[in-house]
Amino acid sequence: MSVEQPGKTDSGVPSASLPSEGFRGFVSIALTLYLLGFTLTVACNSSSGSSTLLRTVKSKLFSPWMVPLWLDIGFDERLTYGQIDDADYLIMVEPWESSGEDMSIRLPAKGASGVAAARWRQLASWLEPGMVPEDVAGLLPSAMAENLFDDVGAEDVRVRTMRVVLTDREEFSAEDAAEPQYAPVAVARVRRVAGSVQLLPVEQERDVAPVVTPSAEQGATP
Amino acid sequence: MSSLSASEPRPLSEQLGRAWNAFWFVPTNARGLAVIRIATAALGLLLWASYANDLQQWFGPEGVVSPSVIDSWRSSYGISLFDSATTAASLWALYAVGFVAFAALLVGIGTPFAAIAAAVLWVSLLHRGPMLVQPADDLLVILLWCLVIGRSGDAISLDARLRAIRKLPEAGPSVRNRLALSLLGVHASGIAVAAVLSQLKGDVWWDGTAAWWLVSGRDQAAGTLMAALAESDYLTNFVTHAITLFEIVFAAGVWVAGLRGFVVTMGLFGWPLIGLLSGDLLWGCGMATLGLAWAPPAWFAGRPALFAGR
Repeated sequence: MSVEQPGKTDSGVPSASLPSEGFRGFVSIALTLYLLGFTLTVACNSSSGSSTLLRTVKSKLFSPWMVPLWLDIGFDERLTYGQIDDADYLIMVEPWESSGEDMSIRLPAKGASGVAAARWRQLASWLEPGMVPEDVAGLLPSAMAENLFDDVGAEDVRVRTMRVVLTDREEFSAEDAAEPQYAPVAVARVRRVAGSVQLLPVEQERDVAPVVTPSAEQGATP
Repeated sequence: MSSLSASEPRPLSEQLGRAWNAFWFVPTNARGLAVIRIATAALGLLLWASYANDLQQWFGPEGVVSPSVIDSWRSSYGISLFDSATTAASLWALYAVGFVAFAALLVGIGTPFAAIAAAVLWVSLLHRGPMLVQPADDLLVILLWCLVIGRSGDAISLDARLRAIRKLPEAGPSVRNRLALSLLGVHASGIAVAAVLSQLKGDVWWDGTAAWWLVSGRDQAAGTLMAALAESDYLTNFVTHAITLFEIVFAAGVWVAGLRGFVVTMGLFGWPLIGLLSGDLLWGCGMATLGLAWAPPAWFAGRPALFAGR
């Protein structure tokens, strides 16, 4: 049994000012459910992965109403990491036959800043293989190319995704900051043939060990 | 039923129940939430405007994020009003409605409807192009849904001014305001916890070099800051550890009544600084806005003359 001053709770709040018990009960259940969902989104959207149990509970009970409201977020964001994947990306689209940068379209444009440029960088990051399931991985490069065929002036283009090369502190020079270096992380060839857009795989150049031919003195056999 | 004397301690369940009621259900006036509304609407207008230049290239009839791309990409639960905007004109029209909603939210006219419209349209826009979403966009969603719950138009708004002109009684404290502020506060603390958890998984936050990697990976790197960090191990370590420490203090400190004013003040500067360092200033501003939910009520006791209700 509670011990209260007349008309007041012991926390000094006039008890009459609190909403009805029924309302509080209903809202408390809703809040508990939401806070549980919020906790699950944080637990399940981590880059460290998530357990099957939590993932299943979230996807069956919470995602159906949290996803439409854009509440299935997780807040596991790049700026909390400082890892290599967090570096900025860009997209270069150019005619397949051309290797000069003067023919290419760069998104975001060189020197572009602000949120719109950040959205292009975000879009570019999704073009990196492994960021999305294989069955949808080719959609964005194809769509990018198709959108830019006219601007590039060709219907056979190379779509390159580049990422800022992270520099070690010890190797920093003022030029690095003024002109960041980029390394390709994905290349795709997209062309339109008879109205149909085709995405062709492109084998990227890789660093390989030099070929050494052992001499006969070292025991090589022909 | 046995009764407790005034000196006997209360059962834990009763104490928890009272704390729960005091946290979620004590009616609160709208001024604090109104300040958050104004900051949210300003942030929303900036983020909404960031789609303007590329709207057709992204979502137009020939856009990069075509209906077929989004069908394959989006969760089956994702829905968007923008899916129905299949022509350039209808896309612009819907986009313009969003601008109006955020502007109405900013000045507080038709606030309950403006909040709902802004939230629904914002979420729709995010669902139309999930691959374009930035961290600040997520924060705006939380802020907007909480404004839908609260009665932020009861203060510092044209709605309040019109009420006063019509000589209607001033809106009093409301449970809805308390619910909205408490939800915002829980999110502010929870997101800080999520950030700390993420950081504690990464080696760079332990070896003190994360600040360098945050800055150096940017397309538009801040040369002066990079040079300063490159120059000094200690400065790099200090900035890295200061970020983590700040987030821990913020996440926990807001729950301590005596520290709240200090922690919120710290958040008003600290979050934007972290955002600036990591290349996402608006995310930092969004976190500072969320943190305002913990601001002591005395902060908002004064009445701005322009929109004063009465």
